[in-house]
Amino acid sequence: MLIRTPKDWELSESSATAEAAYRLRNRREFLKTLGAGLAGVALAPHGLLAATAGFPSKENPLFPASALKPTAYEFITSYNNFYEFGTGKDDPAKYANRGWKTEPWTVELTGLIRAPATFDVNALVAKIGGLEQRVYRHRCVEAWSMVVPWDGFPLAKLVALADPKPEAKFLKFTSFLDPKNAVGQQDSYLGWPYVEGLRLDEAVNELAFIATGIYGKPLPNQNGAPLRLVTPWKYGFKGIKSIVKIEFTDRAPLNTWQRLAPNEYGFYANVNPQVDHPRWSQASERVIGGGIFAGRQTTLMFNGYEKQVAGLYKGLDLTQNY
Amino acid sequence: MNSPLEKILRAKPLVYTLIILPGLWPLWPLFVAPNPSVLADPLKYVLHHLGFVACLLLVIVLTLTPLRVIFPQSRPVLALNRHRRLVGVSAFVYAALHFSTHLLYEGGFRVLASDVKKPFLLTGLIAFTILLLLAATSFNRMVQILGAKRWKNLHRLAYVAAALVAYHQAAARKLFPVQVLWIFIPLALLELARIAITVQQKRHAATSARMG
Repeated sequence: MLIRTPKDWELSESSATAEAAYRLRNRREFLKTLGAGLAGVALAPHGLLAATAGFPSKENPLFPASALKPTAYEFITSYNNFYEFGTGKDDPAKYANRGWKTEPWTVELTGLIRAPATFDVNALVAKIGGLEQRVYRHRCVEAWSMVVPWDGFPLAKLVALADPKPEAKFLKFTSFLDPKNAVGQQDSYLGWPYVEGLRLDEAVNELAFIATGIYGKPLPNQNGAPLRLVTPWKYGFKGIKSIVKIEFTDRAPLNTWQRLAPNEYGFYANVNPQVDHPRWSQASERVIGGGIFAGRQTTLMFNGYEKQVAGLYKGLDLTQNY
Repeated sequence: MNSPLEKILRAKPLVYTLIILPGLWPLWPLFVAPNPSVLADPLKYVLHHLGFVACLLLVIVLTLTPLRVIFPQSRPVLALNRHRRLVGVSAFVYAALHFSTHLLYEGGFRVLASDVKKPFLLTGLIAFTILLLLAATSFNRMVQILGAKRWKNLHRLAYVAAALVAYHQAAARKLFPVQVLWIFIPLALLELARIAITVQQKRHAATSARMG
């Protein structure tokens, strides 16, 4: 009745927002130039300097800015859930830029793989072969959404680099632990560090992405610098920020929110308008940056990425495996 | 003898100002000093703010009676108690604004169908209904119509509303918000002290009656 799942999400979206997207595209080009040329110098005092500057990013034509209307940079970087720096939406932008260092940064590949290694982030990006830009929808479990032009690389490339053994079935992602510089970690309620997980077949899906930037600029600290997970068909909390370790395992890792409230947050966390959160409906969402009278937008199954990911969950009861 | 403090506390304009100002607060991050984190979803900010003010006013009005029982001689406390109806009705007004914003935020009345199935939202709805009932019966004439005893019992529903609001507020966030404790623990302590004093007074009265 109220829930509508269009078969071809890309077409309908592009016809609705072509002009606005075109204008934003120019803005993005501008920001990109600015980012490549001046980011290091001009943005340093604001703490925006992070690793992975100096890797020009090319738009992936499969996920173009013209298909969706990207959310303004200032909203993407000021409305954040990053409890390591406080539970308020404006806390991360404030507290993640007060002495917390995201460069140099290393990430460890470990577990059931043939090529365990620890990489410097910049060396990793170079080894993977540079960055690409993808414009993805971002749907938070709190029923709001954005559209983010991410820069980064497919997670599948990193998995290939790790070379998993046949018994590896899952990936366990671990974020950083630094209570001295991350004020939110001084409270122990969440059980730091933050942990997330994916099935191996989810991790090598074409959509699974490791982001190192937004709008052609290195990720600001509050968005999870220097590298974070992006799984656009899942709720935002799956997108673990500031990753330090990826472990390949044979059993499903217990992700942080599932450990805290298993009746509300599961392992899969796939966007599903038909399965409500116990405290609110997931059938629709507020679009960030839409203003007071923007109204709500219908939430799409798998956040509009049904075509790419529905096959992963054939035969799985999604009301039980939420 | 009226102390200056008492005079200030008795004044209606001051109370009106203190009640209205918090409602205007969202204008600051929305217009005066625009805060992108608020502008990202301005209506959500307004929604939460109005609910928070409603909750504070409800708790404040409920502390007035216990304060009077605990400090029966304090003239400032007695002065504050003159504003009970005004504070109580304004708690309802903020709750009504909060509820209207909820409807606007969710896109109309149809959200009520799913609200009643979720304890987080149902508790808010019941609390609002109680406040509506109490505001509607807050006129002097209603005391006569209902009879003092019945009117008083009806208005004791405010405590039920407060308990529901405590749950409603605690369930509003992904993690338990500590502010709920800051708001409701002082109220609970005052109520406990008030009950202890009332019980003691009753026992004392009974003893005196027997001895007399």
